[in-house]
Amino acid sequence: MRIVLDRPRCEGHGLCEEAAPDLMHLDDDGELVLDREEISDADSALANAAVRVCPVAALRLV
Amino acid sequence: MTDSAVPISDLDLFDDPVLVDPYPSYAALRGLGGVVHLPANDVYVLTRYDVIRNALGDWESFSSEGAIGFNPMVNEALTGTSLASDPPVHTQLRATLTANLSPRALRGLKDSIDAKADALVEELVNKGSFEAIDGLARALPLEVVADLIGFTGQVRDSMLRWGQAAMQVIGPMNQRTAESFPIAGELYAWCSTVTAEDLAPGSVGRGVFEAEARGDIPPNTAGHIIHQYLGAGVDTTIASIGNIVALFAAHPEQLALVRENPSLVPAAFNEVLRYWAPLHAWGRRATRDVEVDGVVVPQGAKVAILFGAGNRDPRHYEDPDAFLVERNPIDHLSFGYGPHGCAGQGLARLEAHAVIEALARRVGRLVVGPEVRVPSNITRSIEELPILEVAPA
Repeated sequence: MRIVLDRPRCEGHGLCEEAAPDLMHLDDDGELVLDREEISDADSALANAAVRVCPVAALRLV
Repeated sequence: MTDSAVPISDLDLFDDPVLVDPYPSYAALRGLGGVVHLPANDVYVLTRYDVIRNALGDWESFSSEGAIGFNPMVNEALTGTSLASDPPVHTQLRATLTANLSPRALRGLKDSIDAKADALVEELVNKGSFEAIDGLARALPLEVVADLIGFTGQVRDSMLRWGQAAMQVIGPMNQRTAESFPIAGELYAWCSTVTAEDLAPGSVGRGVFEAEARGDIPPNTAGHIIHQYLGAGVDTTIASIGNIVALFAAHPEQLALVRENPSLVPAAFNEVLRYWAPLHAWGRRATRDVEVDGVVVPQGAKVAILFGAGNRDPRHYEDPDAFLVERNPIDHLSFGYGPHGCAGQGLARLEAHAVIEALARRVGRLVVGPEVRVPSNITRSIEELPILEVAPA
């Protein structure tokens, strides 16, 4: 499973970081950085939560 | 495919008592189905959480083009805005609108918004009794948005009327809409003629014009962007802040939880938005026959999204009629979701979090008089909320 970011759609609301701080963070410019794109089974619940809270649907799991 | 008939209700979505307290009607509609046909308004309403969330994410089946409002005049007027367009056109318009509105662009405003909110709350608490809508719910967003856009003088005084009218005209062509069109027209006219020099140097509004002059955004879009900041960002935020005060007055034990644990502030705002949605109904149009919850919404049908109905859906939220700040319903529907998700939600959060923090810090309990509500087509807000007594924290 992999997490995919639609970069132009991301507005940096940061709710995904709150949901899954180990998987992603906003950098000093407020741009989202995916720290782990390949998602293990152990992290799949967190990754799902991050995808779900994105208010503009910029994240998805493939 | 299915041949089940769409449930029908004789409810008028924009009837005065429904607008003042829509929650009993929302529950009845949800009970009938995830989608219900209302012949009185010639719309198909979406009522259940999953149905609404799916529709908001599916712009290909549920178009915004010419479909946001509930009368043809307003849909005509909104043509060419990000609000009323679909991808790919929407994508560019949205990027232009949000360049100065995204959380990363707004980070510099947090301290000044926190200070404004705290000063307002401190002053009101010291007074001991006050009217919370004018004194706080309107005062803060008007000051924040005016400073953001760089408004000065007389225009600042018009912001409240303009913001209310811009939402009111999205309703069906009833008396409220007819009376509001001339006022919404004043806003539109002003935005069509405003120039960079009318706006304070260093403001975000002035920056939008400078971006236009540099060619960073298309020609003649700066005025439209200012229009959307005002049309969408004033009335809704006022509603949310009024709701914060009223809900914490009614639930002092929930305010105490936030005071004991300030990290609950964002969760508390999510719960306020879930519990009382600022927007009653928002339009879409079905681009094809769409199967929803086992029935078919026919191609071309006018669709109304009932955010507040979805937010109280017991299929999604346990004990949905309880106001619980620890619930943290981060996936509430009040900001919409997906490509058209509220563009100003970052600013709304800054303002609302500042108010909740200040209230939790300074207020133990609020004794309130009866709240006054006035029916309004789209924005559901409290008109007057007398605070009779403040017990300090």
